[in-house]
Amino acid sequence: MKLTIKYLFLFTMIMGISSISYGQNLDEIIDKHLQAHGDLKKWEEVVNMKITGVFTAFSEEDDFLAIKTKCGKYYSELSLGHFDVKEAFNGETGWTIDPWMDISFPRELNKNERNVFLQKAEFFSPFYNYKEEGSKAEYIGETNVDGVDVYELKLTRSTGSVETWYLDKNTFLEFKCETMWVDFSYRAPAETYFDDFRDFNGLIIPCYVESMFNQRNRVLVIDEIEFNIDVDPAVFCMPKSDEIKKLNFLNGDWGVAVTAYYAPRDLWYPVDSSDSHIDYAATNMIQEKVSYNASFVQSKITDFLYDSEKTQYIVSTYSGFSSNLRIFTGSLNDSSFVLKSTTIGCDTTAPFIIRITYDNITHDGFNVEFARSYDKENSWNPQLRLNYFRKD
Amino acid sequence: MYKKLKQIGLLLLIMGINTAVIGQDYIPDGWYQFRGPNRDGISPEKITKTDWNGNDLELVWKKELGSGFSELVVSDGFIYTMISEKIDSVTGSEFIVALDEKTGNELWRTKVDSIYIDADGWGDGPRSTPIIDETNIYGLSAYGKLTALSRKDGKFLWQVDFIKFFGSTTPRWGYASSPVMVDNKIIMEVGGTENRTFMAFNKADGSILWNDGAGGASHDSPLKATINGQEQLIFVNGRTLYSYSPDGDTLWTFKMPFRSITAMPILIDDNKIFVSGVRTPGFFIAEINNNKATQLLTGNSMKNDFNSCVYHDGYLYGYHIAAVRCISVETGEVKWSKRGFGKGSLILVDGKLMVLSDKGKLAIVEANPEAYMEVASVQAITGKSWTAPSFKDGKVYVRNLTEMACYKIKK
Repeated sequence: MKLTIKYLFLFTMIMGISSISYGQNLDEIIDKHLQAHGDLKKWEEVVNMKITGVFTAFSEEDDFLAIKTKCGKYYSELSLGHFDVKEAFNGETGWTIDPWMDISFPRELNKNERNVFLQKAEFFSPFYNYKEEGSKAEYIGETNVDGVDVYELKLTRSTGSVETWYLDKNTFLEFKCETMWVDFSYRAPAETYFDDFRDFNGLIIPCYVESMFNQRNRVLVIDEIEFNIDVDPAVFCMPKSDEIKKLNFLNGDWGVAVTAYYAPRDLWYPVDSSDSHIDYAATNMIQEKVSYNASFVQSKITDFLYDSEKTQYIVSTYSGFSSNLRIFTGSLNDSSFVLKSTTIGCDTTAPFIIRITYDNITHDGFNVEFARSYDKENSWNPQLRLNYFRKD
Repeated sequence: MYKKLKQIGLLLLIMGINTAVIGQDYIPDGWYQFRGPNRDGISPEKITKTDWNGNDLELVWKKELGSGFSELVVSDGFIYTMISEKIDSVTGSEFIVALDEKTGNELWRTKVDSIYIDADGWGDGPRSTPIIDETNIYGLSAYGKLTALSRKDGKFLWQVDFIKFFGSTTPRWGYASSPVMVDNKIIMEVGGTENRTFMAFNKADGSILWNDGAGGASHDSPLKATINGQEQLIFVNGRTLYSYSPDGDTLWTFKMPFRSITAMPILIDDNKIFVSGVRTPGFFIAEINNNKATQLLTGNSMKNDFNSCVYHDGYLYGYHIAAVRCISVETGEVKWSKRGFGKGSLILVDGKLMVLSDKGKLAIVEANPEAYMEVASVQAITGKSWTAPSFKDGKVYVRNLTEMACYKIKK
């Protein structure tokens, strides 16, 4: 019994020492790893990086551009086969234009992709300030990868994603990383290899990065890195469609003069004046909220969108007066933007069609005229005219 | 009258001898079909050179070539392959061509089909590699037309249309399976309807000798192998490995742990088959005894995409996605792994791997499980290079979508 206690004590001691030893080993390895990447004070001074090089996908080379910022933003332009791809991340969310998904417009990143972009946005090592960022590192052991003796470290990020990093025992620089990547937006385990470390004014960066996931092979060869350049913050914002941008003339703070049409005398007469604010409510949706008197109070919320499949604008107008929603479709030409009401679903019983015409469009204003047709568009009866004049 | 009978007798005798020669399963010279004489990526030639200095590959010639992925068939002083030429962005033709082995100059070309234009942009034109016999060449276009031509002058002999005649459907990226030849038969994976997935055609006139199987056309090429003394053709289709006798009898089938692969099955020793794809698991090895296949090993240490491994002395050498690797056949253990060749290809000549990167770098590497040892290399061709090299008379032949080249190993 005494002997057993003695062995237990010894075992506990060994385990304890072992843990301390591993703990020290981990910190020491990470310290040396960070030092191997160059002067940390210099890294602190880096606000952003512009990386240019050559990217290989599907065995074809093409130019590569990426911008990373200290606050975790990322933007890149590259080619995947014969398609150009743009992608960006603002540190929290992001977007991509990826024609391989048969999506020609920018779409938001999913959760899988978000984790990838957190990795892509990193300046040089996930172990830099990893504790402050809520990540956890563990020392796994020593091993050999493709003939290179390496330290194996496990990194659990604050997001819960787990990565295995293999650091070259001689240089303490990363040799390989096993992590979760995405392939056409779906999760895919990836192996990434780092090579050709070069000195950029005291900052050591791998200029050959090769990834394999599923059957994919991607190689980035970095030619040049510029530091602390002027970056247009707009590059990180999801681009608006060309068609919605054509409605930019609507945006602004406006004064609105409201006139109504009196048919017996063929006369327009003032009924109210109001204010309107029109702006993007979403990447590709412009919204107007306006309220004016025309016999009754007309409070309206109008959303302007473009349907790329039907190649027409779609506008919805919510009326606070009637609590109804009307849908309009239309097109924009050189001088006017014309919308006509359309039925929803199987309802073809609408007694009249409403036409809204935006014309006299300048930077400083535009006119909006409402008209109705009771005879299937053979004739139009003017109803109301709103004259918008810029206030901002 | 007697004289005439004598002449007829002589003619019959000559025809008889001729028939006998053809009947003896004439084996053409050199790299005469997809993946070489035994469809295993291995040349039987010897390399006598021992003093390598890294710069041992010398350009013999380099020529422009129309787009296509067919390997270069090299035999009797000629090169045969398939190419395409575009007329505009949507039209063009596919050809079987013959070239002078010494110069790469074109000798003849015969149009065999309309051009296949790849919607994904991987590359236009034919994917399959033709096969030759003593007098003819047989090639499959990317739109599924199997054509026989005279080797001498490209004269059209016969053609069968897999889509029109057999109800086959063009697979994504086009028909890619390369013909295999046994006796008087050209055997193909057709992917047709009504038991016409696998078919044997008479070399003489393209008539059907046998057909069997259900399943569409894949991208895989059949292996011809002798297992337990029995000649057989091994196809991969869907999730099944099929073995047929040359006469069309099913010998055995095996349910694979994955489906739809592109790399060819590899014969190991006398009775084992290695099959690899890019999914999980990456490969399996099955042993065949008494026409029954049993799985021996499975693993993820080798995942072939579209190019196949070679087997040498207990080890497989090939592309694990985009890393050239050596793995043990016994255990699947990775012996070494070398990146930098992308998704290229390789063949084996006398213990040396001829490794072509997906960007046209050609390297000679020892087929040695101990370590990756490169003895020579050259930037052989430029641009995306997915077609495996061919080897004949000490020379390596490479091609891609725009050019081809011949390199000799310096003495």
